[in-house]
Amino acid sequence: MRITTVRILVQTVMFSLFLAFVLLTTFSHLNDWPSAKWVVSKFLEVDPLVGIATAITTHTVYRGLLWGLVILIPTLFLGRFFCGWICPFGILHHLVGWVFNRRNAKEKIESNRYRPLFALKYSILIGFLAAAAFGCLQIGLLDPIVFLYRAFTTNVLPVANMPAQSAFGDYHVHAYAWVLGFLFLFFVSMNLVIPRFFCRVICPLGALLGVLSRYAFWRIERDPDKCVNCDLCLHSCEGASDPHKQLRMSECFVCFNCIEDCPHEALRFAFLPSRRREIRSPDIGRRHAVFAALVGGLFFGWTKAGGKSTRDFSSKVIRPPGSVEEQEFLARCIKCDQCIRVCPTNVLQPASFEAGVEGLWTPILNFRMGACQHQCTACGHVCPTGAIQRITVEEKLGLAEFEAVGPIRLGTAHFDVGRCLPWSKNIPCVVCEEVCPVSPKAIHCEYRQMLVRDGKKLVRAATATALTLIDSPAPGQAVGAPCTFRPGEFKGDASLSYHVQVYTGGGFVRTFPIADNDADTLVVDGVMDPVPPAGAVAAIHVQLKVPKIDTEYCIGCGLCELECPVVGDRRAVYVTAEGETRSTNYSERDRNRSLRLTRTADAGRTGRVIGEEFRKPDSGEVPDWTSLLS
Amino acid sequence: MAESQPTETGLSRREFLRRGGATLIAAGAATGGALWLYDPTGKAGLRQPSPQRLPNYFASVDYPVSAPRISIARGGALDPQTVEKMVRSAVGGLNGGPGLSRFIRKGDVVLLKPNVGFERAPQFAATTNPDVVRAVIRLCREAGASEVLVADNPIEAAPNCFARSGIQDAAQRGGARVLIPANVYFTPLAIREPNPDGTPHQPDPAQHEALGTWPVFWEPLREANKVIGIPVIKDHSLCYASMGLKNWYGLLGGRRNQFHQAIHDIISDLGLMLSPTLTIVDGTRVMMRNGPTGGSLSDVRDGNTIVASVDPLACDAWCYENLLERDPAALRYLDLAQEKFGAQEAGPRSYAEAGRFGTRHWTDYRNRGLIVETVVRSGA
Repeated sequence: MRITTVRILVQTVMFSLFLAFVLLTTFSHLNDWPSAKWVVSKFLEVDPLVGIATAITTHTVYRGLLWGLVILIPTLFLGRFFCGWICPFGILHHLVGWVFNRRNAKEKIESNRYRPLFALKYSILIGFLAAAAFGCLQIGLLDPIVFLYRAFTTNVLPVANMPAQSAFGDYHVHAYAWVLGFLFLFFVSMNLVIPRFFCRVICPLGALLGVLSRYAFWRIERDPDKCVNCDLCLHSCEGASDPHKQLRMSECFVCFNCIEDCPHEALRFAFLPSRRREIRSPDIGRRHAVFAALVGGLFFGWTKAGGKSTRDFSSKVIRPPGSVEEQEFLARCIKCDQCIRVCPTNVLQPASFEAGVEGLWTPILNFRMGACQHQCTACGHVCPTGAIQRITVEEKLGLAEFEAVGPIRLGTAHFDVGRCLPWSKNIPCVVCEEVCPVSPKAIHCEYRQMLVRDGKKLVRAATATALTLIDSPAPGQAVGAPCTFRPGEFKGDASLSYHVQVYTGGGFVRTFPIADNDADTLVVDGVMDPVPPAGAVAAIHVQLKVPKIDTEYCIGCGLCELECPVVGDRRAVYVTAEGETRSTNYSERDRNRSLRLTRTADAGRTGRVIGEEFRKPDSGEVPDWTSLLS
Repeated sequence: MAESQPTETGLSRREFLRRGGATLIAAGAATGGALWLYDPTGKAGLRQPSPQRLPNYFASVDYPVSAPRISIARGGALDPQTVEKMVRSAVGGLNGGPGLSRFIRKGDVVLLKPNVGFERAPQFAATTNPDVVRAVIRLCREAGASEVLVADNPIEAAPNCFARSGIQDAAQRGGARVLIPANVYFTPLAIREPNPDGTPHQPDPAQHEALGTWPVFWEPLREANKVIGIPVIKDHSLCYASMGLKNWYGLLGGRRNQFHQAIHDIISDLGLMLSPTLTIVDGTRVMMRNGPTGGSLSDVRDGNTIVASVDPLACDAWCYENLLERDPAALRYLDLAQEKFGAQEAGPRSYAEAGRFGTRHWTDYRNRGLIVETVVRSGA
């Protein structure tokens, strides 16, 4: 079998695996096949750029990121084989360039010559790594694996699911998905202008692997005695690595097309080839490298200059359960959006600029889309970098051994009493109380009496059990007009009742339930003693349940906000990040978020660092997230 | 290729006819298409599809008026075998023998509607016990049902709810098909007769009507010709109790939470909306407080009871008094449901004539000896 046939087979397998992994990254699938959660983020984990960049920002290599060595070490020997054989984004570009090609042989040869533009990716890599050195992790913006996962999560799969929604449930929607979709389309379309545009010009992972190819033991070697300088080796050259003269080791994808295309067998994949016929270093001068590093460093400065992740934090930045403290989160999150993909309720959304420019496309919760599923911790289980830690349901809800530290709070719910139906509109509701999933419920109700419209009347005549009422006299009027109630209007029902507050003489104002009424007379439940004098003020109140929040129990899951029937741009009950438990209370940098909203000043309930302080020391592997009582 | 080369002499006759013909066809097609789609008033584009109507799923059951209306089975344990025996015993009390043969015929497609409203493990009693669901599936199969569907439209994410509640698993093992709601599965349903002029009946709040034409989870209803409700009995913060009538809430779509402003109206409307073939109440565990979500084992007590009934109202009233241990006289939606049942059936016709049973006074049945109780021994 020809080596290129083997490569195409490997590429097919790799892209199929990628597809399988992203398709599997849903709650249902991972619930059916729990062991699949160890593989669904595997392409992200073998990506050495993810490993190296997070190692720079966090000084650690998180869990599966050790798999990066599987790519990194062979690259030292073989060059950028990852780009030509494994990278699913590269495979997609390769495929698009092949299927939609309309160049003739001569034009193809010209399109595959190396151009100075192709060195741009090294500047991009240096800039990102320089920013990472300051703790600002941005490689995910352009890392090909991250980019592809994100594009599939926000665009490709939801759009593919649109016609098939009955088979797979409703498609998820994502904030500003079209921006990501446009970028994806742009990079794919650019293959028609410059073949492998993304790989040759943009890709920071390719740049990293290009640098690592420097000392490769094997490379494409041209025999100048056999070569007739026909340039046919450029015909299908994926990397534009100039196999027809001195091979650019940092550009070659090891796709073996040139060997196949050479009519004179002048090319081979050689062990320890001649140093004269190779260019080992990337085509980027020291000055450009320094300039790129400066820009990267400045970018770090700009992200912090806005203050969005520190003092001017947005209360909309509500992170998934198990997320680490915000600065640490930004140092870990690569914006791969796997958590967004796996989220069963669609509550996880890619951020725009809520978390500052550095938080672009990081996950935040939007409770108009969904609510954080009470007993779900799926997001942490697919997070490749530990920005969201792997937690158990018990840990999330503060049960079993976590009872002492309490539940993980994403934020706190608040009422907008001006919008709330019972609070401001005398309409019974309290859906929020109904759906509040914690026990005891964080949303509780009190009965409250509120004046009905035009509810202040004057007593015209009274007996011990009935009040005949008139309106207050209008200006210029001596006696107010008789009231015109709808008979039975104030009888009330199961969800509300009416009361009249009346001055009963002797300096007392008392409240009586209204049993019934006709056009101008109220029959009260009870005996008015003394009987209210004529001219006394009688105020008709409606009594209904109004909801309140007990911050002691609220975990910020957002189910109340999702289900609130006041569905405008801001619900009558809404969750903000205040009171979130991931905040380190003692730290200066995010003190705004860590408001202590609980009544009991229980130090154990706030200021904990997820994943460190209270994790059981002996808990090695986290059990399946469906463990709780099932 | 030669004939298409431009010539100095202009169009040939053949070319002229060809072009002219093509132009005429294009013009005719455009005119015809435009006229076909022409909407002079602008109303045609706004026409709504006429809403669906639901049949009375009890009407096809040949049920003697003298047969028991409520059948209660009690057991001493909650293992799957005992639960299944309880279900068989409760159903048998109505049927006069084992199995569901009076209710389910060979070839029927049966929709089971458990309560899968929240993502809770079965122990929390926020959802129907999966062992009960599985037992009912088995009974349906034994009675010859060609297909058994299990459907609900939960409040929380449906896949999670079905997975965590164990009902997905119970359905799969029992050979039933779970339908997870999706937008395309919902269709408008009218629960009352349309007005004489054919326009849909608008709900009148003064008459305690809440539900007009409303999207429901239609896909399972479209396929099924029998419907069995399998509610769990639990406390409810708003309407006091979620039982058999409230269980049909899980078939509604749209922004159904707006009905909570008239919760008793809507629940009694639900009783009108759907007359089930049978109600099988899961009283194995009962959520006594903090409902409908619960979430703490201390909210739950063991009820060890299965109730089968052909009268959804009396069944709810019985459960409210005997499982939740509260006074059904105070349960407003039962009053309203009874009023609506009467109102719809126009006059004092017998239950059999009305095509369904519906009284909130379960004690009437007790006095007439229409309630049977059995006790099931635990174990296999």
